[in-house]
Formats: sequence, C-alpha cells, structure tokens
Amino acid sequence: MSEMEPDVRAVQAAEGLPAQAGPPERRLGESLHFALRNPKLLIGGGVVGALLLTGLVAPLFVQEGPNVYVGPQAQAPSAQYWLGTTNFGQDVFAQFVFGLRSTFLVGLVGGGIAAVVGMVVGFTAGYRGGLVDEVLNMITNVVLVLPALVVLIIAAAYLQARGIALQGLFIGLTSWPWVARAVRAQTLSLATRDFVDLARLSGRRAHSIVFREIAPNMSSYLFMTFILLFGGAILIAAGLDFIGLGPTEGVSLGLMMHNAVTWGALQLGMWWWFVPPGLGITAIVGSLYIMNVGLDEVFNPKLREL
Amino acid sequence: MSLDVNDLAVYYRTLRGDVRALDGVSFSLADGEIMGLAGESGSGKSTLGKSLIRMDARMRHVAGTVRLDGAELPVADDARMVPFRFHQVSLVPQYAMSALNPTRRIGRMVRELVRSRGVDYAGVHPELLRRLELVGLDEQVLRRYPIELSGGMKQRVVMVVSTLLNPSLLIADEVTSALDVSTQRAVAEALAGFRDRGFVKSMVFVTHDLALVHQIADTIMVMYAGRPAEKASSRTIIEAPRHPYTRMLISSLPEVGVTFAGKRLQGIPGRPPGLLDPPPGCRFRDRCPLAFDKCAEQPPFAEVAPGHWAACWKAE
Repeated sequence: MSEMEPDVRAVQAAEGLPAQAGPPERRLGESLHFALRNPKLLIGGGVVGALLLTGLVAPLFVQEGPNVYVGPQAQAPSAQYWLGTTNFGQDVFAQFVFGLRSTFLVGLVGGGIAAVVGMVVGFTAGYRGGLVDEVLNMITNVVLVLPALVVLIIAAAYLQARGIALQGLFIGLTSWPWVARAVRAQTLSLATRDFVDLARLSGRRAHSIVFREIAPNMSSYLFMTFILLFGGAILIAAGLDFIGLGPTEGVSLGLMMHNAVTWGALQLGMWWWFVPPGLGITAIVGSLYIMNVGLDEVFNPKLREL
Repeated sequence: MSLDVNDLAVYYRTLRGDVRALDGVSFSLADGEIMGLAGESGSGKSTLGKSLIRMDARMRHVAGTVRLDGAELPVADDARMVPFRFHQVSLVPQYAMSALNPTRRIGRMVRELVRSRGVDYAGVHPELLRRLELVGLDEQVLRRYPIELSGGMKQRVVMVVSTLLNPSLLIADEVTSALDVSTQRAVAEALAGFRDRGFVKSMVFVTHDLALVHQIADTIMVMYAGRPAEKASSRTIIEAPRHPYTRMLISSLPEVGVTFAGKRLQGIPGRPPGLLDPPPGCRFRDRCPLAFDKCAEQPPFAEVAPGHWAACWKAE
C-alpha cells in the first residue's frame, strides 16, 4: 500500500487539489527561519509596520477631519492634543496620522505603478529582443533622462484638483526606467539558460515562459525592487508636497512640513509642528531601506549568516 | 526507415555571408537504430542535431527534406514543428544541470510540460514512476527541486522526461560531455536501454567521443566540414573504415593496452576548411594523403558496401 500513497498524492496535485506535501512549508520555513533571525529585517519591518498600523487605525479615532480648526492656537503638546496644535488650531496628531495614511498610499500607488510598468517593459524588452527591445530601450532611456522632478512640478502646476492617488500615478509613471533596465538585463541573462530554451521548445507561450520560468528566478529581486520604489515614491511625494505642489485636498506629511515652514513654525519655535512629519518620513524611508538590506540577506543564501 | 534525411542544407546567416554548416547531408536511420554522430568541432554534427528538432534564429534551411516515419518533418517552420516536438522528435539537452528550472519542483515541471503537449498527466504518471525507477530514481525526486539532485540524477531525470511520450526520434546532443567517465557510461547505457524497451524508436547520439559511442551505437556517421564522410556499423567504422578522414581519426585515438613509448600518436595535420566559402570538391582534399585530381569534384555519399556509405572516390 505504501506504493499507492504517493500515487494518490500526485494525482491530487495534478488535479489541483490541495496536496498535503511537506516541502512548500519547508522552503517557506527556511526563509522564515532566516527572516526571524535577521535584526535588520525585524527592526525595519517593525518600524514600518508600527507606522502603517498607526496610519490605518489611528484616523478611525480622530473625531474631526485633520484640517478642522478644533482647539486653541499654537499650543504645545498636552494631554488633550498629544502633538499640540498649529497656528490655526488644527490638531497636529490628527494631521500626522492622516498624513501617514496618505504617505503609505502614495508609496503603494507610485511604487506599484512604477514596478508594474518597469517589469512589463523590462520583461518584454529582454525576452522579445530585436526591434521590440530597441524601441522599448529607447523609450526607457528617454524617460530616464527626463528630469522627473521638473516634469512632476509642471504636471502638478497645471492640474487644478490634485489628489494623493493622482500624485502617486505621476510618480509611478516617471520612476520606472531603472527597474525596466535592471529587469531587462536579468531577463536577457536568464533567457539564454537551457531550461528557458527547452520551455520554448515545448511551444509554450511567451507570457507563460516569462512568468513561470524567468520571473520566479528573480522573485526576490523583484520584491526588493518594489520596496525601493515604495520608499522612493514617498520621498518624491514629500519633496513635491514641501514645495507646495502636493495634494490640494487632504493632508500629507510633506504638506504638513510645507505649512509649518510657510506659517513660520521654525521662527516661532513650534517644533511639534514640523518634527513629527519629518521624523515620520525619515523613519518610513530609512526603515524600508534597512528592511531591504535585511530581505536581501534572507533571500540571498550567500549573505546568510547561520 | 524511421528517419530519412535527404540532401539537407542548413546555413548560418552572418554579416559576411552564409556559413555552410550543413551542405547536402543525406542519410537514413532504421527503426531501432542508434546512430552515433561524430566529428570534430565545426563539422556540423550539432547543427544537424538541432536542425532535426529546432532551428535557432540564425539558422536558415536552404534545401533538403526530412521524413520521419513516412511523414515530412517541417524543419524550417518553427510553428509547424511544435506538434512534432516531444511527441515525435525529442531532445536530451547537453547540460542537464541547467535544463531544469531551479525554482520548480521536478514533478510540477513535468506536469506542465506534459500538459503543454496536450497530454493528460494522470495517464502518464504511472509510466513516469516506472521509468524513473528504471533509471534508479524513486518517486521522491518529483517532489524535489533540481538543486537537491546530483548531476547524474538530473541527467537521468532529463532523459526520462524527454522520452516520456515515446518519441520516434531522440536526439542526444553531447549528453555525456559534462559528466565524469563512469557516469558517462551509465547514461549511455540507459539511453540504449530506452531503445531496447521501445521508449524511443531511433536515436541520434551526437558526440565527439568515438570510444563511448562505439559502445552503444549500432552505426556511426562521421561528419567533416558540413558533410557526411562515412557511415557504417560501429564495428566497421572502428575496424575497417574506408574514408581517409575516418581512418586518420581512428588512428589518432589511443588504444588500450598499447604503449606509445616509442612513437607519438598521430594527429591529422592541417585544419578543416572555413565554411563561409568552402572550396569546391572534396572538403578533405587539402589534408588527405590520398588526394588526386578527381577530388576537385565532390564525391557522392555512396553505398560502397551493404550498409556502408562513404564520400570518397577511393573508398571503393
């Protein structure tokens, strides 16, 4: 009967039924083993996670909107207003938690769009080669040399109503070129491997070869690319907000800093107005980068320390 | 006749013109025949192997036909070849180490492959297990990643997978060159075993190792500069070759039990002609000790004895 059991399992797997095979957990477990022992990943992930949680949960407990004039003006942090109030009597804590939310949103939208566009362009160029590669490479190079910030400033200046998602969209559409180049280079090298050649021999379609044969071999790289893009999009958004081209409605960490500077918080010594958003941005982006290094160590067996 | 290649010519496109890697190759393969395809680097043996299953983008089919089991093989048409691959013609790639996707479990890879061929996996699964067992692997390997297998194990997995659908013709392209000597022999014998059990009807075994191919092949075809020089049973090629190139090739091999203290092994002086613009006539003429005036004319690849073909005016 012991002969029968593997048979059954393979047939189950063949029919897409959940097989109770051990190895998937084993491999996942291996990554998890190293992930849980990596201080960089734990610290970075912890900080990002805590801020994300704050951004998601805390706004639910804020009664009024973040821009509503709720209290006394220019008050230092107190028990009632944890992070004090602005010149106009807005609650800095409310602004901060809503700002966190929009900062993560910008990172997600901007980083996500950049990752998708970059990967599609990179995979197509690297796998197809020939004329397609030439054209896509040319487009990539053109976008690469465009001064992205200037384009963003112009675009932001022309748009009347600007939301956070729109800002993310613009950031995503201008920050993908380096991803495309890196993915293309990796694809070029992977596409010449024998197993890809054999998959091609079997007449499989191009997209199935790319997603099943090529992409899994660089999945950790793709994941880390996304994290870098995420952090990058947050920084660009903060820069735009700070020079006053941020979202016209809502609030973001960059916008808070912009307002603080505009209304003289520096001169008046209202540190509680500009320190939290600055610290928030620094903490998110810095932790993301540290987390990225940690992830690299987890995914790359050569960097692992037992 | 299982395979019938008639006057096949395949050129490589380069900026400087066509490189005539295969120029008028004709031969046939009987059912159950294992043919060793030998020759030095650049003789066209790998090109011939590739032409029979998949031409790459640089290769251009110029002339000739290939018939397999009586049906024409559309070698020049990549898309029309797709249904033939794995079903009719299959390939054991050179480096089994890189032939398996490192991120896929072997079982899953086989499933995807079999499905992509339009075959129901559950139907072939028992046969797969049986064949794995035949080459000394248990079904555990299906749940492993390629990295968990040794080189020899990977090579055996690849052999089993590529013959799983009982192809009529199997092309083994230098399958043993990356393996150590004892594994080489095991691999070669496993392939011969596949033929004996009817998993494959006939086989082209591309190699430059005459000693190894002699052990498993029924016939050997020696190629030189894009053309077949001689084809005969392995025994005849080794013991009584008729083409001067084959003779010199055999004589340049060391023999077991013979001491070469006194004399040096003889190589073949000279170099094969460039195939970008090969000289007319017999291509071995410049290096051939027997060359005479008539060699300016291309000798036909003629049957000089039953089952023995040679392309030489003096082979009679």
